[in-house]
Amino acid sequence: MNHSRFQEVCDVLENCNYRGDYFQITFRSRLITPGVKAGQFVHIQLPDMPHLTLRRPFSVFDASTDEGTLSVIYKVVGAGSTALAAVERGKRISLLGPLGNGFPATPIGRGIIIVAGGYGCASTYLIARGAAQPGVCLLGARNKADILVEDAFAATGFRVHISTDDGSCGHQGLVTELLDRVLTETAGASPVTYACGPNAMLDAVADMCLARDIEAYLSYDMNMCCGVGACFTCVMKRKADNADGWEYVRTCRDGPVIDAREVYREDGTT
Amino acid sequence: MAEVSLETRLGDVILKNPVVTASGTFGYGKEYADLVPLEKLGGITVKGVSPFPSHGNTPPRTGEVFAGLINSIGLQNPGLDRFMNHEDYLPFLRTVDTAVFINIWGRTIDDYVAVAAALDSESEGIAALEINISCPNIKEGGSSFGTNLTLAGKVVEAVRNATSLPLITKLSPNVTHVADFARCVVDHGSDMISVINTYPAMSIDINTRRPCVSTVAGGLSGHAIKPIAVKIVYDVARAVDVPIIGMGGIYSAEDAIEFMLAGADAVAIGTALFSDPGTPLDVIAGIKTYLESWGINDVADIVGTVLTV
Ligand SMILES: Cc1cc2nc3c(=O)[nH]c(=O)nc-3n(C[C@H](O)[C@H](O)[C@H](O)COP(=O)(O)OP(=O)(O)OC[C@H]3O[C@@H](n4cnc5c(N)ncnc54)[C@H](O)[C@@H]3O)c2cc1C
Ligand SMILES: Cc1cc2nc3c(=O)[nH]c(=O)nc-3n(C[C@H](O)[C@H](O)[C@H](O)COP(=O)(O)O)c2cc1C
Ligand code: FES
Repeated sequence: MNHSRFQEVCDVLENCNYRGDYFQITFRSRLITPGVKAGQFVHIQLPDMPHLTLRRPFSVFDASTDEGTLSVIYKVVGAGSTALAAVERGKRISLLGPLGNGFPATPIGRGIIIVAGGYGCASTYLIARGAAQPGVCLLGARNKADILVEDAFAATGFRVHISTDDGSCGHQGLVTELLDRVLTETAGASPVTYACGPNAMLDAVADMCLARDIEAYLSYDMNMCCGVGACFTCVMKRKADNADGWEYVRTCRDGPVIDAREVYREDGTT
Repeated sequence: MAEVSLETRLGDVILKNPVVTASGTFGYGKEYADLVPLEKLGGITVKGVSPFPSHGNTPPRTGEVFAGLINSIGLQNPGLDRFMNHEDYLPFLRTVDTAVFINIWGRTIDDYVAVAAALDSESEGIAALEINISCPNIKEGGSSFGTNLTLAGKVVEAVRNATSLPLITKLSPNVTHVADFARCVVDHGSDMISVINTYPAMSIDINTRRPCVSTVAGGLSGHAIKPIAVKIVYDVARAVDVPIIGMGGIYSAEDAIEFMLAGADAVAIGTALFSDPGTPLDVIAGIKTYLESWGINDVADIVGTVLTV
C-alpha cells in the first residue's frame, strides 16, 4: 500500500435519491480524497446507530482533489444503508480510506473495456474518467431502474452499451453477452478488461477473458469488518504456491481487485 | 497537582498505560500502523499464532448482531515460521516501541509447546505470551482446553516448562465458574489472566434461514458481553492474586474504568476498533481525565476499588 490511509470526520454536502433504491452521498474530504484510486473504497461509520457499530464499505464513485469532495453511490439494502439514506446535509460522518488496492492504471494505446453490474458502475467510473484513452463501457442490470450513471460514462468519451435482464433498456440478456461481442471486435487492440458487479458475473467475465488470453481485473465484494486487513473476515481464495494450491487473501487489503489469472475456482478451472 | 501516572505493572511487564489491543482484532499491528500511532498504545496483542499455517474457516466468518459481533474466523494465521521471520509480523513488531503480547494456540498440547519454545529462543521484543485455551483439543475428542480444568492445567504447565517468558492465560467465559479456571492456571504457572474470550452465540437470517457464520455458531463480542465480562473480572480478581487484563465490549474510557474498578490491572480493546481505530487513544485520554478529576495520581490506585458493601 503506497498511500496513507486516514480516518476523517467528513461533512455531508449532499445526499439525494439517485434513482429507485439508489442514493448518492457527497462528502467534504480533504485527507482521503487526494489518494483515491479507481476501485478503492471508503469504510463509512453509520450515524447514530449505537447498536450497529460496524462500518459499511462503499466504493468511491467520484473524487475531486481540487474541491476536496468524494462521493459514493449506494443501494438501500438493509439497516445500515437505510440509516445512511436518512442522513441530511451538514451531518458529520467518519470515513476510513482510501482502502483496498484499486484497479491498475489503464495502459496507453490498448483497448479498455469496463464491465459493470448494478452498483459496480460506482467502482469503475474513475477508471473511465482517468483512462489513458476512451474505451467501451458495458453496463448491466436487472432492469432500467438499476442502470446508473450512463451519462457520466458517456461524458468521458467511452462508448456505453447497456443490457438488462428484462429488456427494459438496451440489449435484453446478460452483460457478458455484450462482452463476448466487444472482445471479438477489439481483439486486435489487445484490450484490458476491468469489471465490478455480482461475484457470479465476475466469474463469467474471468472465464471469457481467460479463454481468449485477455488481461482482466475483477473487483470482488465480500462482507467486511475492519476493512484494513486486521480481522480476516473478508477472505476469498487466491491461487498460491502451497500444497492446497490456494490461500485465503483479505479482500479489503489484498483486493478488492484481483487479476483474473489469480482467482482460484473450486471447480478446478483455471 | 502531580502529573498522573498511567504506567502499569503486570508483574515484571511494564506498560506505558493500561490499554492494549485484543487478539484477533488488530492483526499484527502493521495493518493499523498508518491509522494509529502504535507507540502510544500500552501494548499490542497479535492474532493467534499456531505452529502450522492455517486457512481458517470458510466464509462467511462474521455477522453483526444487536450491539455485538459474532465471529468464526477459525484462527487463520501464517504459521510460526512466517510469523517469526516475515517483515509483516514479529520483525515489524520489534521496531515498535510498545509491549508486544503473542497470542498462541494449537490443536494439541505439543502445538502450544512448539510455539512457546520457538518464541522463547527468539524472545527479543516479546513482553509475554498469551495462551488462548478456547480451542478444541483434537487428541482428546475435540473438547476445548478452556472448558476442562484438567486440560487447562496441563496445557499451561506444558507451556510454562517450555518458556521463561511471562505467561498470560486467556480464559473462556463458557464455564460455570471462571474463577476455578483462574486458580487452576495460576497453580500451573500462569503469571497473569486475561478475560474474557468471546461467548458462544448464534444468529439466523430468517429469509435465507442461514446462520450468519458458516460454522453455524461463533463467538460473541462487543457491547453485548460487557456486563458479563465485568462480573467475570470481578470474580477472577477475588480468586487469584495475579495481574488481570480485562476485555469484552470496551468502547470508551468509562467502560475501561468499570473493568479496572472490578479488578482489571489493564484492559484490552477489540471489536470497538472496527468502529473506530482511535478507540484506544480516546480510552487512554479518558482514563487520565478521570484520574485527574478524582485527584488520583496513579492508575493502579483504582484497580479493584469497587464498593461492595
Ligand atoms: C469493497 C466493497 C465495495 C462496495 N461498494 C458498494 C457501492 O459502491 N454501492 C453499494 O450500494 N454497495 C456497495 N457495497 C456493498 C455494501 O457494503 C453493502 O450493501 C452494505 O454494507 C449493506 O449494509 P446494510 O447495513 O444496509 O445491510 P445489512 O443489513 O448489513 O445487509 C443487508 C443485506 O445485504 C447483504 N450484504 C451486507 N453487506 C454486504 C456486502 N459487503 N456485499 C454484499 N452483500 C452484502 C447482507 O447479506 C444482507 O442480505 C460494497 C461492498 C464492498 C465489500
Ligand atoms: C474477529 C475477532 C477475532 C478474534 N481472534 C482471536 C484470537 O485469535 N485469539 C484470541 O485469544 N481471541 C480472539 N478474539 C477475542 C478477542 O480478543 C476478545 O477476547 C473478545 O472479542 C472480547 O473483546 P471485545 O468485545 O472488545 O471484542 C477475537 C475476536 C474477534 C472479534
Ligand atoms: S475486513 Fe477485516 S481483514 Fe478484511
